[in-house]
Amino acid sequence: MYKKISKVLALMLVFALLLTAVACSAKTATSTGNDTSTENKSTKAAKEIEFWTVFTGPDGENMVKMIDEYNKTNPKIKVKHIPIQADEMYQKIPTAVKSGQNVPDLSIVHVERLQGFVDNDLLQPLNEYMTANGKIKGENYVKAAWERGEINGKHYSVPLDVHSFVTYYNKDLVQKYGPTVLDDGVITFDEVKQVGEAAKKDKVLGMGITWMRVKFLSWYDQLGGVLSADGNNPSFANEKGEKALNAVRELHDAGITNLDGEDPVQMFRAGQVVFLPEGIWMKNSFETINTLNFDMTHMITFDPAKKSNWTSSHQMVMFKNKNMDAERAAAIMDFVAWVGENSLEWAKAGQVPASLKIMENAEFKQMKQSFLLQEPDTLKIFDYKYFGYAVESLDKIVWEVAFSRMGAKEALEQAQKETIDRINAK
Amino acid sequence: MKNLQTVPSSIGSPIKKGTAKSGRGNKLVPYLFIAPHLIIFLIFFAIPAVSGIYVAFTKWNLYSAPQWVGLTNFYEILANKDSTFYFQLHNGLFNTIKFVCFSVPFFIIIPLLLAVALNTKTYGSKIFQSIFYMPTLLSISSVILTWVFMFHRNLGPINNILGLRTNWFGQQPFTWMAIVIITLWWGIGGNMIIYLAALNSIDRSLYEAAEIDGANAIQRFFKVTIPGLKNQLAYTVVLTTIAQFNIYGQPLMFSKGGPKESTRVLMMYIRELAFGSGESIAGLASAMAVILGLCIMAVSVIQFVLMRNKD
Repeated sequence: MYKKISKVLALMLVFALLLTAVACSAKTATSTGNDTSTENKSTKAAKEIEFWTVFTGPDGENMVKMIDEYNKTNPKIKVKHIPIQADEMYQKIPTAVKSGQNVPDLSIVHVERLQGFVDNDLLQPLNEYMTANGKIKGENYVKAAWERGEINGKHYSVPLDVHSFVTYYNKDLVQKYGPTVLDDGVITFDEVKQVGEAAKKDKVLGMGITWMRVKFLSWYDQLGGVLSADGNNPSFANEKGEKALNAVRELHDAGITNLDGEDPVQMFRAGQVVFLPEGIWMKNSFETINTLNFDMTHMITFDPAKKSNWTSSHQMVMFKNKNMDAERAAAIMDFVAWVGENSLEWAKAGQVPASLKIMENAEFKQMKQSFLLQEPDTLKIFDYKYFGYAVESLDKIVWEVAFSRMGAKEALEQAQKETIDRINAK
Repeated sequence: MKNLQTVPSSIGSPIKKGTAKSGRGNKLVPYLFIAPHLIIFLIFFAIPAVSGIYVAFTKWNLYSAPQWVGLTNFYEILANKDSTFYFQLHNGLFNTIKFVCFSVPFFIIIPLLLAVALNTKTYGSKIFQSIFYMPTLLSISSVILTWVFMFHRNLGPINNILGLRTNWFGQQPFTWMAIVIITLWWGIGGNMIIYLAALNSIDRSLYEAAEIDGANAIQRFFKVTIPGLKNQLAYTVVLTTIAQFNIYGQPLMFSKGGPKESTRVLMMYIRELAFGSGESIAGLASAMAVILGLCIMAVSVIQFVLMRNKD
């Protein structure tokens, strides 16, 4: 009997201990939370706007410089930069917003994520705040980037930049193997073939193959393809998609591109590649190589009349936050408006600021990536609702076709089916 | 190990002999000792594991409340042959098991041989011990960045030294070979340290006796060293198998799951479904994770049973 009682007692004690430990930690968490929220209203935090960004790389330094510059203007509330790895941030956001604790005041998100956040009621519409501010207007921003913030009649975001996949070319090699190719400012597939054949004898590659997903998307768009005809079901397994993929495969099979397992970026740096489709974010690293005489132009095209550059955009958003008040929101909008007017530092990070005001800046006009803002209609931002599913399915097959391990038709059908299955399973 | 086993039994005996009153008091003490570990175990393991199993029976996008769907997710991945997820589970699991089979034997044999070699205590053995252990401390990202350069098709030292032009990133069986080599280099130190510690505890007199009986080095290895390491070998086989089942970073960063999804392991599919760039399908991902967990459990149980039978 005693034994039984002692066992029960022991278990109860352990349970009580557990509860106390959990309660204690919970209590500590809440009390810290309370402390911070009290602080929020009164002292420290009220003077800081928490700005979550995904700029953990070298571009983070440019962002810090911009924010420092802003804070020097003596704003009502200063901005604090909190860089977080993109994946980690996207995992944290739902928990933060749903719990209402530690919700960032302002955040950077990728444009493709906007629709999903709105569908799940996480984003704060900015119309009212922007009207109160008066300086943030659609006409001052790149149209393609601004429009993506307009969802179901409300405006949810202000674009910071647009970043595209373009073509880098080695000027010396172009001069040697195809001096007239860039007379019209664009490079066609036929010209890549022609230059590639001429360069072969010197063991120089015509074109480098890196991130296939976005190359496919640019070329597919140039051919008039859409990811979904009705906005819901994917419809990219078609002849246009096959043509876009086979174009790369033909270049690969003809020995004009790099082989799988080779590093074309490194080879471009070493002056062994003529054309390299890559992101504008690579520009700064190429500029550090003194021996590399390069420039940038539009993505390689099928038809010189139809230029299209896959583009994404970093957008500034506010997540729903019950602690937000008009005064604080006004201070946030002041910062957003200031960024639009002072984005040269962001251009120095290699990006193209989405604010058209930058076009008035002489220093920006000298930058290689500025050609994109002269023809903003060539910037293609995809807005398919299930973009995430589609591109992850495409990622599994685009390399396989490019490197001749899979047929284009079979591959696209597989990717389309995976996208459909994921839509149905969600 | 021996010491650890003797201590509790010596504590245990006076309790048994004690009076009911003192016994009651003492019986609480062990629970108090395990309480800190138990709390951590519950918070970071048991509760997440149970919620993970619950999620496997729901449809959940991480934002709204999970919606109970019963066995739908399991039907989809286990029985619906037309589904992408059926293919993903089978392909992912098959590739994971392949990797386990390729890597575990090397993970036991090579550290064992290294430990025996280092145990000869030749000049500089401590330095080599540190060198072999050091990669274990690195993150998977830095390991892969280094090896991507090593295996580079035309600039990499491996192809250049061997005079090859092999595509290690997109051609089988080379991609698996590369992934196993990288994983071995990265994790060899852990098991090696365990074996080294155990080798020190083998009674020297056994070796001397064997030598006097005329046993050569190979016979001594199989008749004295291996039996002496029996417990550690069993422990490392089980733990290494479990660890290798969780392979993720190496194929993700080295081969991106290619060529033709032949190195795409189950964890890659699970992570993409739950935390990909589209809306989360956490229910299906959890169902896949439950299957992976069951496989790991099954393999561990089989290994335990086999080893116990040997005893």
